[in-house]
Amino acid sequence: MAASNGVILGMDGVTKVYGSVDSATVALDNIQFNANAGEVVVIMGPSGAGKTTFLTIAGALLQPTSGTVTISGQDITNMGEKGLPDVRREKIGFVFQSFNLLESLSALENVMLVMTKDRAHGEAGKNRAKELMSIMGLNNRLNSLPKNLSGGEKQRVAIARALANNPDLILADEPTANLDAKRGREVMLLLRQIAYEMHKAVVIVSHDHRIREVASRIVWLEDGTFRSDVETAKDPVCSRVVEVAGAPQVEHIGVLFYFCGEQCQKIFQATPEKFSDAAA
Amino acid sequence: MLLVARKNLFAERTRLAISVGGVALSVLLIMLLLSLYRGWDEKVGGFVEDSEVDVWIASEGAKDFLAAASLLPAGGQEGQTAASFLDSQPDIEAWSPLVVRQMEGVKVEIEDDGEEKIGKEMNLQFIGYDQATGLGGPLEIVDGEGDPTGDEVVVDEALRKRYGVGVGDLVKAGGTNWTVTGVSTGGDFVATQTVFVSHERAQAALSMDEKTTFVVVKMKPDGDVPGFVETVESADPRFVAFTREEFAANTRERILSNVIPILLMVLGLAFIVGLAVSGLTIYTATVEKQREYGILKAVGFKNSFLYRVVLEQSLVTGVLGFSVGVGLTIFITLFASDFVPQFVTYVRPVDIAFVAAVTLVMSAIAAYIPVRRLASIDPVAVFKA
Repeated sequence: MAASNGVILGMDGVTKVYGSVDSATVALDNIQFNANAGEVVVIMGPSGAGKTTFLTIAGALLQPTSGTVTISGQDITNMGEKGLPDVRREKIGFVFQSFNLLESLSALENVMLVMTKDRAHGEAGKNRAKELMSIMGLNNRLNSLPKNLSGGEKQRVAIARALANNPDLILADEPTANLDAKRGREVMLLLRQIAYEMHKAVVIVSHDHRIREVASRIVWLEDGTFRSDVETAKDPVCSRVVEVAGAPQVEHIGVLFYFCGEQCQKIFQATPEKFSDAAA
Repeated sequence: MLLVARKNLFAERTRLAISVGGVALSVLLIMLLLSLYRGWDEKVGGFVEDSEVDVWIASEGAKDFLAAASLLPAGGQEGQTAASFLDSQPDIEAWSPLVVRQMEGVKVEIEDDGEEKIGKEMNLQFIGYDQATGLGGPLEIVDGEGDPTGDEVVVDEALRKRYGVGVGDLVKAGGTNWTVTGVSTGGDFVATQTVFVSHERAQAALSMDEKTTFVVVKMKPDGDVPGFVETVESADPRFVAFTREEFAANTRERILSNVIPILLMVLGLAFIVGLAVSGLTIYTATVEKQREYGILKAVGFKNSFLYRVVLEQSLVTGVLGFSVGVGLTIFITLFASDFVPQFVTYVRPVDIAFVAAVTLVMSAIAAYIPVRRLASIDPVAVFKA
């Protein structure tokens, strides 16, 4: 159930430090963050910015060094390993970059498996799983094994699994990274639908420029802190979102293009006409 | 059974077959050894146990049926003294002398030209018994007559099975051609089989005039067996007496005491083989599915659930292996003695229960190391592509 003020995921002064004093690395530094019911928040940032650490703390998989984390109004900061699995299972739905379905289970069984006992009971559980699969447009793939599903279908099964226990919070890690443009867009729209129609908080960590399309808010994470003054652009080669400041750049037919690294820059320079239309 | 455990187990049929096969082989080996031991135990001690003899009297130094280095007086002054002593015992219902000696014999066939065709050598437990009391004689006649006279013998059915000796055949032993007039049961000592003749004829054939090997005693129903044993031993230190149970146990010990350490060692090896096969297959299955276990942890399953998955896979493998192993054991024991006569087996329900418990222990141990590995899986790893 959502908190009364609408905040599903709350982070207050969250800091995460890896290592001991001499070799300490600050992955997150005094983070303030809220995700509300009915919104899609996209977190972007360069590699090593702390996105995975953010996601694992938000997903009750990792405890912060300091600060407070609440999910649906419940403080999970100091919850031990005994309590955190229940929080993950009941309050959070996970969508992973590489789908992470269980290979020996059918699509329907993958969805049913994660259901808590009260939901999984008998036919009711099966019907709920079928309903979710139907919402995902997978009525005809109920008994298919993951190896027989396309990437887009696998990700839709993963989303159905994330919704199995009707959680308030959906955490998605690069949900479109392994999908082509069409399937990626389908998944993005599904995530937006989940936020808007099912009134969930959807937090997406992504490099994918296209995901901006469904975002209610985009936040930029860099060096362990959120920055609001960041100007971003899309790398025309790999479609990643990059921070303009400090990024390699190339001017072509009067337009400045920015790149995530030298490799993409070189590829662009070899055949700029191939990418300039796409970037536009 | 948990859905994940069942699906994981049956998704990899080749691995399952190897795992079940390994456990089945181990169970088969354990069951065969146990049933072989039980079979020998039954055979070796069975004759003494099933006879009507309550007390066995031997000369000092002899203590079992098979190593019959016993020599007792059965005639003359000493024999008469012994007989008087026994006759005076109020608790005795009957007693008689019994000649027992191991010897080799052969089946003889007289051909048309009068030549003797000699068969394979047989190890015989040559027994001369008093037909008046029947003590120490054939337990049950299954073919022909039961009271041999003169050069007649009753042979155990194991001889018929192994060497084809039947009623009407000739058996040559101790320089005499004996005619088989009956076939009995219960006299198979695995390595030797009983051949019964009359006591007088055995004495003559073995040059044991006025001597016998044992004196066998049947007590009255309310007779004091331990008291009588004590009376015999205190009457003359040259004689020892044993109750039926003691004598059977001593006979078993002579044969099986040398076999038990070997059996135990092979049993241990069989257990290790089963453990290694099931342990390795469960371990590799767990390692292969490590990422999936990480996913389950990430989405909220507790370690206890994952432990159950592995333990159930191991237990199901164990149960399947046990069923196949026991089935094979029963199948083999039905026919094995037809091909190898010494392969005398006896499958007891209690041994099946014991092996079931051993298999459960094997399965639990096989799951232990994979379970430890599960505990160390970091669910955060599933966020890596």
